[in-house]
Amino acid sequence: MVFNSVIKKEGERMPEIEVKGKKLALDEDGFLQDWEEWDEEVAQALAEDDRFTGAKVELSDAHWEVVRFLREFYIEKGVAPPIRQLIKEMKKRFGPDKGNQEYLYELFPQGPAKDACRIAGLPKPTGCV
Amino acid sequence: MSKDDTRLQDISKPLNEQLVKIRFEDLMPLPAPFKGPEDEPPLTDPKPDWKKDYVTELDGYIGIDMPMPKNGVEEKELVQKFLNGLKKLLSENNNWEFLQPLMLSFEYCAQCQTCSDACPVYLSSGKKEIYRPTYRAEIVRRIIKKYLTKSGKIFGKFVGADIELNANTVLRLAEDAYRCTLCRRCAQRCPIGVDNGLITHEIRKLFSAELGIAPKPLHELGTVQHLEKGSSTGLTPEGFADIIEFIEDDIEEKIGKRIKIPVDEKGADILLIHNAGEYLSWPENPAAFAILFEEAGLSWTLSSEMVGYDGVNYGVWYDDVQLARVALKHAEIARKLDVNKIVIGECGHAHKAITIIADRVFHDEYNIPRESCLTLLWDLYRKGRFNLDPDKNDFPVTLHDPCNVVRLMGIVEPQRKILRAIAPQFREMSPNGVYNYCCGGGSGFAIMQSMNFPEFRNKLSARMKVKQVLEAFSDCISPDINKYFCLPCSNCKGATRDAFVHYGIWDKCRIIYSGLVELMVNAMVDLEEPFVEWEWH
Repeated sequence: MVFNSVIKKEGERMPEIEVKGKKLALDEDGFLQDWEEWDEEVAQALAEDDRFTGAKVELSDAHWEVVRFLREFYIEKGVAPPIRQLIKEMKKRFGPDKGNQEYLYELFPQGPAKDACRIAGLPKPTGCV
Repeated sequence: MSKDDTRLQDISKPLNEQLVKIRFEDLMPLPAPFKGPEDEPPLTDPKPDWKKDYVTELDGYIGIDMPMPKNGVEEKELVQKFLNGLKKLLSENNNWEFLQPLMLSFEYCAQCQTCSDACPVYLSSGKKEIYRPTYRAEIVRRIIKKYLTKSGKIFGKFVGADIELNANTVLRLAEDAYRCTLCRRCAQRCPIGVDNGLITHEIRKLFSAELGIAPKPLHELGTVQHLEKGSSTGLTPEGFADIIEFIEDDIEEKIGKRIKIPVDEKGADILLIHNAGEYLSWPENPAAFAILFEEAGLSWTLSSEMVGYDGVNYGVWYDDVQLARVALKHAEIARKLDVNKIVIGECGHAHKAITIIADRVFHDEYNIPRESCLTLLWDLYRKGRFNLDPDKNDFPVTLHDPCNVVRLMGIVEPQRKILRAIAPQFREMSPNGVYNYCCGGGSGFAIMQSMNFPEFRNKLSARMKVKQVLEAFSDCISPDINKYFCLPCSNCKGATRDAFVHYGIWDKCRIIYSGLVELMVNAMVDLEEPFVEWEWH
């Protein structure tokens, strides 16, 4: 298929987030466009950005455990883990108090699948998920 | 309900005007426990920022989340490309795959409007003209008449050639092609078989192939990602292997027995292909398949090859070339594994893509038999291959009929026969079978999550299904009673999950949604604990 569209790419106005003087492109739901631009300072800025979810997330050590796990998983496998697998892995690593859905929702009220992934710099989930 | 006097010609109006605005009083009312606007999220306006790059001037919703050439830029090119595409759509060489049914639908529609009352989007919206199944079809028909026929060029509006083709027409039409779920209920209702769903599909195809316009979740993040990374979810072969191991662990935990899920087993009888969304969002579904196939002693395998572990084929909604690329890859993998047949898991559009549409490109060694999981499951059940106790499923159950499996392919009874046997409180929703309504997520809507498109889906395309489910459970709607909405299709599950969250169905009514195989495993005599988990996810 010829995809030589009449669509202008450069005119695209997407939201941005500024970290250390550098502007990073986000998608329309606040997910980082380029997952490789992520570092822990970017995560901090994404957590404080309430334009998309309506609420800031104060990152504690507990949040970081989830964010780092998601990040590692994504880099290795190319996707965010299924929520059940995330719960299971949390249980394995940090015990049953942390390996349950309620705990994860308490940390990420907008939903671990969405908000934790956004803060971890993962792209928005695609496909039939 | 406010009267809508939008005309066909309005599609060409300048872009400073939004043709239709949906208000709450227009929406089809929902049954109990819904009483009024306070029971559901309000309708919202598009953000002013969006107007610069996207087409909000149809109904305010944005289905095509790629910037469009608005405000004078490249407008001529847009119109010219549209016309070129239209010519190709009508030529044997360029559109051998769909030309005949397309022409029949173009030529024989008598404008009786019987189809309008069959359309869930049209009805849910309070009968807005732009959603009428004939609206987009008639616009294209008149454009063809005016610009591509002699009589239209000379006599213009006297022969019904009265649609002005300008950039506004093209841009609004592109959006309107993404307001129909391609459920084809209109085609079924038509007394002479005119298929306005097909016409919508062909308009989408024109936009994709000729103008490069398609929603990102379908093209860039859909078929392109599917072919390049292995799955439209982004799942890689490594990730797939990891999840299979996780599912094996999960099965062991739940049923106390370890099952080795066969992957890449050459010479197996069956290659089972799931929608990869199952692995990521509903891993209990592939788990239930593995348990049942193991119990039935089948010779089967999954594929871990790129594309082979994701049965989706988004091309079926918008682009024949992309469809063929993915379908041929599926067939190639089955051929290499030397299986006797491909069985498609609980995914409606994958059924349509690989069994029906791909039949036109599967020749010779590629023409491997394909079967629905539903007919296979019934056959196994009928032959007594499972030991099931219906008492374990003694809760209210209703069933959704995925359009592509049921209306399109006519697979109506197998899933019902199973449910009647294993779910004592099974009740049909109305209408059902081939007369079903779409889940609201058909044709890609379930995965189109950009900007305000989810609001369109939840309020307009999925509203009829929500109504049907509430009515089916009206005798037990109280949240004190757990109820099971059986949806044998990943896409339908995705749309239902979002709609149920939108309307707060879990808290208000305690209805979970899940597939057919989960309910079968839940009834297995050997299982000590229930397989179905009564929690929202």
